[in-house]
Amino acid sequence: MTGLLKKILIIVVLLFTTLALYLNFILMPEYQGLKTGVSNYIIQSALRDTGSLNLITAVLYDYRAFDSLGESTVIFGAVSGIVLILSRKMLPVSSKGLSFIVKRTLGIITPFIGLFGLYVISHGHLSPGGGFQGGVILAAISIIFSIVYGSAFDYRRYSPQKKTILETGGALTFLTIGLAGLFFEGAFLHNLNFLTAEPGTLLSAGSIPYINIGVGFKVGAGLAIIFYSMIQKTFEEDY
Amino acid sequence: MTLRILFAYFLMITGAAFAVVTVLGLLRFPDVYTRIHAGAVVLTISAVLVTIGTAVYVWEFFLSLKIMMIGMFFLFSNPMATHAIARASYKRKIVLPEQYEIDAYSDYLGRDK
Repeated sequence: MTGLLKKILIIVVLLFTTLALYLNFILMPEYQGLKTGVSNYIIQSALRDTGSLNLITAVLYDYRAFDSLGESTVIFGAVSGIVLILSRKMLPVSSKGLSFIVKRTLGIITPFIGLFGLYVISHGHLSPGGGFQGGVILAAISIIFSIVYGSAFDYRRYSPQKKTILETGGALTFLTIGLAGLFFEGAFLHNLNFLTAEPGTLLSAGSIPYINIGVGFKVGAGLAIIFYSMIQKTFEEDY
Repeated sequence: MTLRILFAYFLMITGAAFAVVTVLGLLRFPDVYTRIHAGAVVLTISAVLVTIGTAVYVWEFFLSLKIMMIGMFFLFSNPMATHAIARASYKRKIVLPEQYEIDAYSDYLGRDK
């Protein structure tokens, strides 16, 4: 009896899902070729609408910013799941790291990596790059600390608590800018038009640079947490 | 086609020739350390020559400075990475040291802890 009930329930749920997908699908306009899609509109008027020279960033953080919010929520879920499954002890056993030469050379190079990551994040609306890409470059610093100097060094410099604070701060920046768009402009994640300056300058394009900074720190801290949780076994000898 | 452009092309072509020599070394050398030697020495000077050639080609101050900085990072990072690989493969005994007549590195082990 319960099996029959379960089957009926499954069929009803599937029918409702099918109906919802169908209703969503018939809203789509008919395919009319590549020439007359939405891409032409974006190419012609994205600079006027958003003030961002990089049209991909304009699409990511203005036209479909809600989708980017969903993507960063996916990263947040992945970080939470990995930390839940692979949680380490608070004071881990650390390797000694690589040799003296590698340590000193990366001591010279690492600040430039951080500078490049911040450049990619902050110029996301002017040149190729943006929050996700620059965040990955920032996460590379933490990975370098873990591999080259040993994971205890990474723990002392940027502990998982600090990374969690950074990640939450990034997500809160995104949400706050979205709510500010709702408050000032009348739509959630609407571009804040009173922040727009002349296109091409650093602080132009409305709220896009601030969303970029939030997403960058969120992605960087999230990936660093994922990497730190995944190094379970450290080697005793040094390489 | 001024003399500067010709000099830039000369530098770039020399760097590309060194890159070809690197590939030959990686293919033809017998084991891991000699291949690492080819990758470290020749590939570094190849990349540095190509970046210097590009800097001469564009010939604007800040742009050339940026390209020269990329060359500087090659000069730092490529020997460092090959050093790390060689050291790890020595300690992991990828190729046993008994196969060589001279094993100078074992005298220095343990100094840089």
